[in-house]
Amino acid sequence: MILIQCQGLSKHYGSKKALNNVNLTLESGAPIALVGPNGAGKTTLFSLLCGYLTPSAGTVRILGEAPNSPALLGQIAALPQDATLDPNLTIISQLSFFARLQGMDSKQANQEALRVLNLVDLAEVAQQKPPSLSHGMSKRVAIAQALIGSPKLVLLDEPTAGLDPANAKKIRELVRTLSPSTTFVISSHNLDELEKLCDQVLYLDKGELGQSISMRSSNSGSDYLTLTMESCDSEALIQAVGQIAGVVNITSKQAHVFVIQLDDTANRHYEFETALLTLFKQQHWQYKMLLKGRTLEETLFS
Amino acid sequence: MTQNAPSTFNNMLLIAGFECRKFLFNLRGIIALIAFALVWGMLLLYPIQGASTLLMQPNIKDLIDGLLGNQALNVLFDWPVAEMAIFWCFALYLFPMFSILIAADQFSSDKTRGTLRFYTIRTSKDSLLFGRFLGQILIQGLLILLTILATIALALTRDIGLLLPALTSGALVGVNLVIVILPFTAVMTLLSLYANTARQAMVLATILWTVVSIALLILGNQSSLFEGLQWILPGAQLSNMVNTNGLNSFVYAPIPLLQTAFALFLGRVYIQRSQL
Repeated sequence: MILIQCQGLSKHYGSKKALNNVNLTLESGAPIALVGPNGAGKTTLFSLLCGYLTPSAGTVRILGEAPNSPALLGQIAALPQDATLDPNLTIISQLSFFARLQGMDSKQANQEALRVLNLVDLAEVAQQKPPSLSHGMSKRVAIAQALIGSPKLVLLDEPTAGLDPANAKKIRELVRTLSPSTTFVISSHNLDELEKLCDQVLYLDKGELGQSISMRSSNSGSDYLTLTMESCDSEALIQAVGQIAGVVNITSKQAHVFVIQLDDTANRHYEFETALLTLFKQQHWQYKMLLKGRTLEETLFS
Repeated sequence: MTQNAPSTFNNMLLIAGFECRKFLFNLRGIIALIAFALVWGMLLLYPIQGASTLLMQPNIKDLIDGLLGNQALNVLFDWPVAEMAIFWCFALYLFPMFSILIAADQFSSDKTRGTLRFYTIRTSKDSLLFGRFLGQILIQGLLILLTILATIALALTRDIGLLLPALTSGALVGVNLVIVILPFTAVMTLLSLYANTARQAMVLATILWTVVSIALLILGNQSSLFEGLQWILPGAQLSNMVNTNGLNSFVYAPIPLLQTAFALFLGRVYIQRSQL
């Protein structure tokens, strides 16, 4: 099912082009990542999808409808960047009111508000007001509001920014758990996180859609391995690995991390891995990680 | 999750009710309510009670006619309940001012901190605009009701036989006052959509009323053709309404109703086009 379709989508702020002629089609399913440097247009794209902004040119269709269409109300939800709840009202009263606006009766709305707070482990703050929460807790409450009514599409703008590692992990688990019924589009600078969660990755730069990569297809039958070493003589390792049969190229752009390109027949029966581990044993080199394929960072920026 | 498709009208009513709850059940609202009660308590106990006693003096009508002319406040003496007559004079000017104060933060704070984004993804902008406007009218309607009941109680302490005329006058005054505050609230709806804070919305309201009043005055002096323009400004009819009572006050109702419709129309155009 086509979830999001953008054609020739542009957004200008005066003479500045925040988004320039973006064409994309996204299907429902696994979480989708939106990455790009600061000012690349990620938040603008999110705002256009949510209907907070109107495009300068082009069209957006979500589930076949224009943003702000009455048919979409309650079907899509978002964690807008930097948006906060009303500081004068309790969290439960605001979340249950949102649920009521989505068509639930008073009792259902209350239960739904508690359900989503439970999902982010914050049921105990239900009766508190937003100013009493830490930044991380406020973020989790904002994520909870996006889950009210189990919408079909949830747009999360930097969902784990400012969260401690344990809570960031919980949010990732939550997204993974809810993914079968809800499609998440996640904007983040944390590429490791996106790699763990998402299959499709959209790369925006200077308002233009640079790449659209499927992690699964780019790594399936992959000709690449990523090797991370504890410590070693990089020069010697590159030279030694380069001599193993099937190696086309080996590069290192980060300390102790090597991307090895193999020819497509080299690795059918783990001959290369066997030779590599034998080499480590001979040289007394300690490896930390051997990853099939390339990291998202390598894929995007190599 | 069982849920009904939300409708604009239902959500408008929900939002209006939520606005009332926000005002009545949080500390800021309660403080505002206490301040309002104190101001009106003072007004009722001193100026209104004192002036209504004065109004019943046999020679005071001649004095006012002599000072202001015999058509200026002559209707004031026709009111069946003197307290309600004085309340009418105060309320006609004070409630619009309260309206500007109370309704200044319909959207501004929520817009600045992004809270409106949580709403617009769940409900139409129309339900948000009209719901918040209706909520403000309900809050102010409640305040008007409370002050009218206090005025009736004040009249009854003087003469218990005034119950029926006080209730009748009170009902007519209440409906008229609600109509009077409509355009003020609607203009504040529009200004609070534009402003980033409630204070900024109030400053804009002050500038708007001052500049438009001066402009209308200058235009009116230039040519009699521009005199009709005075009715575009909310509150333009108030000086004429002071010297009316009962059903006669409704003669001026079309002016605030049209002003309200126009301000809400502008508000609707603005919210539909705005980037919240």
